[in-house]
Amino acid sequence: MQDIRLRTGAAILLSLAAFMSLAGAALALAWWLIFTGRFARIKIRMLLPVAGMLAFFSIVLALTGGDGLSYFFRMMVILLIGFWMFAGHKSGEYLHLGVWLLGDRIGFELGMLADMGMQTMHLLTRDSGQIRVAEQLKGMNAGWRNLAPAGFILVSGALSRAESTAEIMAARGYRDGGSFCPVFVPPVKDMLAGAAALCVLAISFIPVSEFFILYC
Amino acid sequence: MRIVLDDVRISREEWSLSARGIFTEGTHLVSGDIGSGKTTLSLMLAGLLKPSSGTIGREEIVSRMISFQFPEHHVTGSTLREECASWGIDPDTVLASVNLTGKEDFPPLKLSRGELKRLHLACVMAKQYDLLILDEPFSSLDCREKERICNDLSLCTQGITIIFTHEQMQFPRVDFIWEITGGSLCSRGRLPDALPAWEHAPAVIKKLIRRGNLPENLTQKDLMEAACRT
Repeated sequence: MQDIRLRTGAAILLSLAAFMSLAGAALALAWWLIFTGRFARIKIRMLLPVAGMLAFFSIVLALTGGDGLSYFFRMMVILLIGFWMFAGHKSGEYLHLGVWLLGDRIGFELGMLADMGMQTMHLLTRDSGQIRVAEQLKGMNAGWRNLAPAGFILVSGALSRAESTAEIMAARGYRDGGSFCPVFVPPVKDMLAGAAALCVLAISFIPVSEFFILYC
Repeated sequence: MRIVLDDVRISREEWSLSARGIFTEGTHLVSGDIGSGKTTLSLMLAGLLKPSSGTIGREEIVSRMISFQFPEHHVTGSTLREECASWGIDPDTVLASVNLTGKEDFPPLKLSRGELKRLHLACVMAKQYDLLILDEPFSSLDCREKERICNDLSLCTQGITIIFTHEQMQFPRVDFIWEITGGSLCSRGRLPDALPAWEHAPAVIKKLIRRGNLPENLTQKDLMEAACRT
């Protein structure tokens, strides 16, 4: 989806649908398979740790009397939607969305913050790749012992970059808000996908018994 | 011990780089303009990047190391002590050699780029490798440090050392000159015969050649000797 308004809206609607019910999660998964076509592009290395964590919490939930399996499935669907949303990000698009939604002051600030956050996520991914290469070059074995220093490097690198960005913005005279003309070109396919996401949420809200009149 | 580049080619959109040739034992200097593909080629030689086509053969090379241009890309420790230890060397010795004694518990990323580069190169040079690739080893260093690194590199006599740089002032003693020009890696041959054909040669070397004083090598001593030759 190229239009950030539709992509964000669809992600929110589908996440809500998946969270609300199992049927909603199944429909959201069907939507993801039909409209994103990202099944082959999933990075298992990135997905597995989060899926493992979800599995752990689901088992705990099941052991304490909850519906662990349903929770796991619904959360996995939300995770897939999140991955799709993250993978489709283009630099600067949250600024367009923020200004369109909330105007030149608060919208500009929030949009810029969201874009910076996404940029940081991409940089963290790049940095962690570099750390892995460095460990490989030094002949270090990948293990839990290396996780703490790697985490420290990632966090301190991100903080240092944030500090530099703040200094640059202050030096350029930035105070708050700004003027910006958002531009969107929604393709027909995006609009269809957006409408389908709305239907998924609507159906997930309607109880199944409303569709089927059961007579005893 | 050698690296054989057999019709290697890598391309990205409209940019491409092709390379063929053999890197034998000794010190090789690869020069080229910024953006010509020095870093890309260094990554391919180190085995961190696959070429689009062609093969890179590394014969009898057991140990290899690449030094990236940006030293922070090598950091894996949260303190200088951890960082030195991650290279498998004694932190006290290496920190003393780069005047960082007393900063053992300091985070590496809080050092200045120049200090970190100095420490990184000291860690790299503390070990011997069959293949050592240095991508812009002189960047972020002052003249004195460049000279020190050049002296250390000039002492490297084992294995294959490949230096990728656009440096124009300080050089170690090198055996072979290569350059990337027009999207291709070209061998200029062994020194000193390679010097007249070296397109990216520093102005001082070109001037010495025009005067008929071909330097024996690229070190400051060699250039001084050529300049004083009558």
